[in-house]
Amino acid sequence: MTTLITKTITKICIPLVSLFSISLLLAGHNNPGGGFIGGVMFASVISLTYVVFGLKYTKSFFNPSWDKLFGAGLLIASLTAFGAIIYGNNFFRSSIKFVEIPLYGEIELASATLFDIGVYFVVIGTLLHIFKNVGEDK
Amino acid sequence: MDSFTAIVLAIFLPFAAAIFIPLLEKFLKHRIGWFAAGIAFLSFALIGIVAPEIIHGHIIQHSIEWMPSIGAEFSIYADGLAMMIGFIASGIGVIIMSYSNGYMSHKEDLPRYYQYLLLFMGSMIGMVFAGNTLQLFIFWELTSITSFMLIGYWRGKPASIYGATKSLLLTAGGGLFMLAGFILLHTITGSYDIATILQNPAIIENIKAHPFFLITLVLILIGAAAKSAQGPFYIWLPNAMEAPTPVSAFLHSATMVKAGIYLVARVHPIFSGTEAWFILVSGVGIFTMLLAGFLAFRQTDIKAILAYSTISQLAYMMTMYGYTSYHEPGLGVAAATFHLLNHATFKACLFLIAGIVAHEAATRDIRKLGGLRKDMPITFIIASIAALAMAGIPPLNGFLSKEMFYETSVEMGHIIGGPFTFLIPAAAVLGGIFTFAYSIKLIDGIFLGEKHHDHLPEHIHEPPYTMLVPAAFLAGLVILFGLVPSIPVHNIIEPTTAGIVLEEVHLHVQLWHGFTPALFMTIITFICGLAIYTRYDSIAAWQDRFNARYPRISVNYYYDRIVDGAKGSAKGFANFTQTGSIKLYINAILFLMVILFAIPAFMMATQVFPANLNFDIPPYEALIMALMVIAAIAAATLHRYLPAVIALSAVGYMVSLVFIYLKAPDLALTQVLVETLATIIFLLVIARVPQTFKEKIPKTTLIRDIGISFTVAATVLILLLNATQGIAPPFESLSHYFLENSVKLAGGHNIVNVILVDFRGYDTLGEISVLCLAALGVYNLIKSRGEGE
Repeated sequence: MTTLITKTITKICIPLVSLFSISLLLAGHNNPGGGFIGGVMFASVISLTYVVFGLKYTKSFFNPSWDKLFGAGLLIASLTAFGAIIYGNNFFRSSIKFVEIPLYGEIELASATLFDIGVYFVVIGTLLHIFKNVGEDK
Repeated sequence: MDSFTAIVLAIFLPFAAAIFIPLLEKFLKHRIGWFAAGIAFLSFALIGIVAPEIIHGHIIQHSIEWMPSIGAEFSIYADGLAMMIGFIASGIGVIIMSYSNGYMSHKEDLPRYYQYLLLFMGSMIGMVFAGNTLQLFIFWELTSITSFMLIGYWRGKPASIYGATKSLLLTAGGGLFMLAGFILLHTITGSYDIATILQNPAIIENIKAHPFFLITLVLILIGAAAKSAQGPFYIWLPNAMEAPTPVSAFLHSATMVKAGIYLVARVHPIFSGTEAWFILVSGVGIFTMLLAGFLAFRQTDIKAILAYSTISQLAYMMTMYGYTSYHEPGLGVAAATFHLLNHATFKACLFLIAGIVAHEAATRDIRKLGGLRKDMPITFIIASIAALAMAGIPPLNGFLSKEMFYETSVEMGHIIGGPFTFLIPAAAVLGGIFTFAYSIKLIDGIFLGEKHHDHLPEHIHEPPYTMLVPAAFLAGLVILFGLVPSIPVHNIIEPTTAGIVLEEVHLHVQLWHGFTPALFMTIITFICGLAIYTRYDSIAAWQDRFNARYPRISVNYYYDRIVDGAKGSAKGFANFTQTGSIKLYINAILFLMVILFAIPAFMMATQVFPANLNFDIPPYEALIMALMVIAAIAAATLHRYLPAVIALSAVGYMVSLVFIYLKAPDLALTQVLVETLATIIFLLVIARVPQTFKEKIPKTTLIRDIGISFTVAATVLILLLNATQGIAPPFESLSHYFLENSVKLAGGHNIVNVILVDFRGYDTLGEISVLCLAALGVYNLIKSRGEGE
């Protein structure tokens, strides 16, 4: 599977798909997308590099600890849920705020987006953690 | 700072600090213990800020909404009782964490040790200030879990693991009974709030008259007894002594084991004054007091002696809380509370001494120790003060609370009358005699007599000051409370007792109170105690012989049988259900599916093939369907892995196309991505295996598999045909609610996403937690398989 064609296409795909996954994550509140889909998309491009370039080679220059990523994701998501309590609301009460930004226009700040980011990290972290370990296994 | 904030900070400061310990350890190295001690001191000070208010009889209560739908709130209920245990937990915490700086070797995993200690302390403080039974349960179980980790701190030692497992099974298991009791209490009163119940006499009357009264009481008491090592549950405490000695001093004498006593005190106004309360609480207490006091004789490890003495001292308190009767509400409460405080001081001190002796003499076996008074004069004096306080010698604090115990025993005997007039005081005295004997044994066995030169190092010296000062401080408290009892009585015991009996209390505690029955009982205790002490070794030998002859008369024997039996039957069950054959699992799943779908479909459908089917399908959809069928057949029949996998993913992609036509873009996206990912995983795997199927499938298997596929397909077909024809009565679609409210309430236009992150965000949080656990599970499976080989 390590033909020149797949290698070249994968190299092009990596930045494109990564950016697209982030845009999916952020757009998810109003359009198709969201943390889960964005996360799976990001995980698929990284796992594609694992397949195409080989795990050992990929790890020589790109080897983040995915377990820490999903830990962080779970933390973000839980903190978002608990954050409402600090402001005197119920557990998990979400809130929205619209902020005007010069030149860009109005953007929406929702606590749900923060939660979605947590989901995003958890999905990426768990999937790639599993793949890496299964891939390493002899 | 208002009182509520102070208490919340006192609870959560240790938790927050525990997070930063590994980070700080990089700078502070082995001095990290002082940081932990500082945090404990801060918690102590924060409780100290609110103490004056509580001592003046004000109860601090405040709550924040937590789970309003089931009536649970995060609430704080700070009265004298909570304050006292809060002070003990944080104050002894300071002492223990300072002492640990000298006790723990710098090579140990110190961050883990102090993290657990802080987490434990936070849980304990959180538990006593909890104003809500569910919250109390959560912190209660947290103390069980942290103590499990502390007992098993030395992970390599099988005895640690055994002791940790035992304590977790018994104390956390007991907690579950307690939870059931709380839920029953909620069924009776309609409230989880402790304050609501306590401050409403009508509700308490209602509970006492309710048919569930007895079962609720029993369930809650099981939790309390398990935590405080009472009754048959006492077996976990001796094994818990595998923990580092400071931990034993902290958890197993001063704080965690007091949780059960705390619970009994907390529910005292609700249940006390009834016959059931007296029989259960005092009965268990007296039984445990005598049994544990007697069994202490046999122990040779000084920590084990202390463990049994702790069990018996806790039983004193249990007994006294149980004394409260209908005629005399609050009888024994002050005595029990005072003893609780005194026990925390002298027993923690004794444990610290045990740690010092083990540290310097390199053994805890009392048969090998002796004659240490010359080498360690200061330790000897401190130990004597603490042990004599436990024995009840005036003018130390143990004497005062023991006198109160005798006094209330006499009163209780009079109230019941009959033979109990003498039996109850006699039981109390017998407990005192045992206590006296083993207390003397501790001093005599370790410090007096001749030094065993063949067992002990030649030069034994005093420990470093970090270890000596905390013990000396506790011994100082023992003397102070004994000589000037008015200080603890007015500031701690009176508000605490007022919190338990729910009325103002004034006590007069003094060393000399005339020639009372209690004084004569004390004199009898000392004389008989000395008499028994002369026969100490022969009693121990008799116990050993008895145990060797009847090994089955022991709670431990049954505990081991049950636990080992559970392992065996779990293995049998796993072997039966988890054969490891994927074929079998899939067949089982499909079989269940066919049954669950086909039978209801046949029962509800009027006819198997509905007459008026709608074949008006757009041509592109028909084309996709046809392609899907072809791809599916290809996936099943192709003989090389790669094309088969690609055919399979083709089916998946076409399903997502169908989703797009049905206007479900989110679903389609997910399907595409998951399909891609699945294909990549397949590619990852098949890159390593031979590219063609080698095995020949026998004809019988083939026929069977085709049969299974056909049955499943037919079931699904019939179900779908009938589902569109109104197999179930039509109901209004749920989506209207979400369409109307998603922008209004959550500010999102994509309702699928809004449902996931907002309306059902709690579900999603649960799901991602499961995902994380699954990842950890896969990791462990792979790693542990490698180790096994």
